[in-house]
Amino acid sequence: MKASGKSLAFIVFGVIFLFLFSLGAFAIENSECLDCHGDPDFTVELPNGKVKSLYVNPDKFKVSVHGTNEIACTDCHSDITKLNYEKEVPHKVPVAKVNCSDCHDSEQESVEESVHSKSISPKAPECFNCHSYHYTERSAALTVDERDHKFCLRCHDPLKSHNWLPQKEFHFARVECSVCHSPEAPKFVALRFYNPITEEVIPSKKILEALGATYEDFLEKLDKNKNGKLDTEELATALAILKKKGIHAAFMGELVVDMDPSVHSITKEKAIKECSKCHSEKSSILSNVQLVLGKGDKTAETYPVSKAALTSFHVGHFYAISATRIKVIDIIGLLIVLGGIAFAGGHGTIRMLTIPLRRKNK
Amino acid sequence: MKRIYLHPIPVRIWHWIHAACITLLVISGVFIRFADYTKAIPLDQAVRFHNIVGIIVALDFILWFAYYVGTGKIKTYFPTVEELAHGAIRQIKFYSFEIFLGKPNPFHPTPENKFNPLQKTAYLNIMLLLLPIQILTGLFLLYPVKFSSIINFFGGIKVIDTIHVLLFFFFASFIIAHFYLATLGHTPLAHFKAMITGWEEEPEEHH
Repeated sequence: MKASGKSLAFIVFGVIFLFLFSLGAFAIENSECLDCHGDPDFTVELPNGKVKSLYVNPDKFKVSVHGTNEIACTDCHSDITKLNYEKEVPHKVPVAKVNCSDCHDSEQESVEESVHSKSISPKAPECFNCHSYHYTERSAALTVDERDHKFCLRCHDPLKSHNWLPQKEFHFARVECSVCHSPEAPKFVALRFYNPITEEVIPSKKILEALGATYEDFLEKLDKNKNGKLDTEELATALAILKKKGIHAAFMGELVVDMDPSVHSITKEKAIKECSKCHSEKSSILSNVQLVLGKGDKTAETYPVSKAALTSFHVGHFYAISATRIKVIDIIGLLIVLGGIAFAGGHGTIRMLTIPLRRKNK
Repeated sequence: MKRIYLHPIPVRIWHWIHAACITLLVISGVFIRFADYTKAIPLDQAVRFHNIVGIIVALDFILWFAYYVGTGKIKTYFPTVEELAHGAIRQIKFYSFEIFLGKPNPFHPTPENKFNPLQKTAYLNIMLLLLPIQILTGLFLLYPVKFSSIINFFGGIKVIDTIHVLLFFFFASFIIAHFYLATLGHTPLAHFKAMITGWEEEPEEHH
């Protein structure tokens, strides 16, 4: 019995091995697809007479999320299992719609909760409408403006609605749409080195060079008190070093969502409308502050920053009313008001006490 | 009693619109600055209200400026060297000492020269320096995207906000002091009446 059990196992493994080997032997290489699809003039005429490009830019695909992860064309176009060069079109046409959720199951779960999935509008977007077909990019390094233009603003004009929201333009400039419209998504204050004159984010490479740091040792080099995060003074030191090297930098803050599958649950009804979610000292969103250094491939390194930095002048280009106010200003203000009260009260009291004196002088 | 027509009707209308608006701005300002502790009015409503009243004050300021410059009465706001050197000291002496003894105010207003040297100095700074700064910083905070280059030039939105908030505290303090000082007429209500009727009552000089 034992011997036959072993041989059975041998046969099973042998079959699996052969299967895997055969898969490898017959797997379709991307280069084979690109033989045709890499030609910019590669088109097809549709039954309705329109001409559709079937071109995939190999260079752009290579730097895309899928390209850098060495995903094969047939990993997504999984209905193409073999190529038959005897035929004019070596694979079956039309190819089946790609099912992104085969790999991105948690994103799929999230998107199913979204207004985009639930919408019955024929214009309701599918994955590729936002993420493009073949050139899916990373977004962690993008600013609010870049993120919104890449996604939401392609279809939506937020200025047409949101009439309840004061300072619409400013909110849209500094708060990513999904911060309110994906209530469950993790979010944080993204601080960036910013040139206030050109109003642009300074490239990380320039910052790292000037500070003599790398992405890996950036935190270690700046975190003098070794508490694992960047404090107000440490941020100020970084700005001072940059200034010495001729780089005029300031910290600009934006509210963004983390790259988490849950951002796909875009909602209209459940969108955050309570101002106090951000405009409060106790805001959990504002307590998560990260310094963001973007990379060339649009990924980003983030370094934790102490919440107190938001209530300092060193982070001058971020202000959430009430929440990140500078408390010293309130103390000075209180003294100014008390001064007015003391003047009126003091002078008035003396006036009352001296009434008998004035009567006598009359 | 001598009656002097001190406050023409445009000035009175301007003054009371301004008084009401500045008071409302200070109150709504508290609801904005300290939203964590003042939940009675939601922040979005406080901001919207503050913005509308702020625009009214800005327009009211333009009317005031046009009236005073147009009529040439703006001169009233500029103290002379003599007034700064002697008049101001005389006035400080009066307010801090002589007034308690019942001595007469050394300054006698006329329609052409209605402010004493201290009032001139204070109102000149308030009307031609602090209020314009407050209106401008308010405008920048109202349209931070449009005015981003100016905001950045001054060091960022937090700097602009700080200036606006410090002046907000100043104006809060000013309302209190101004209200109190208005009770220093020949009767406690005399100045208030004058700002309603236009006519200021002055005790006759006794020679």
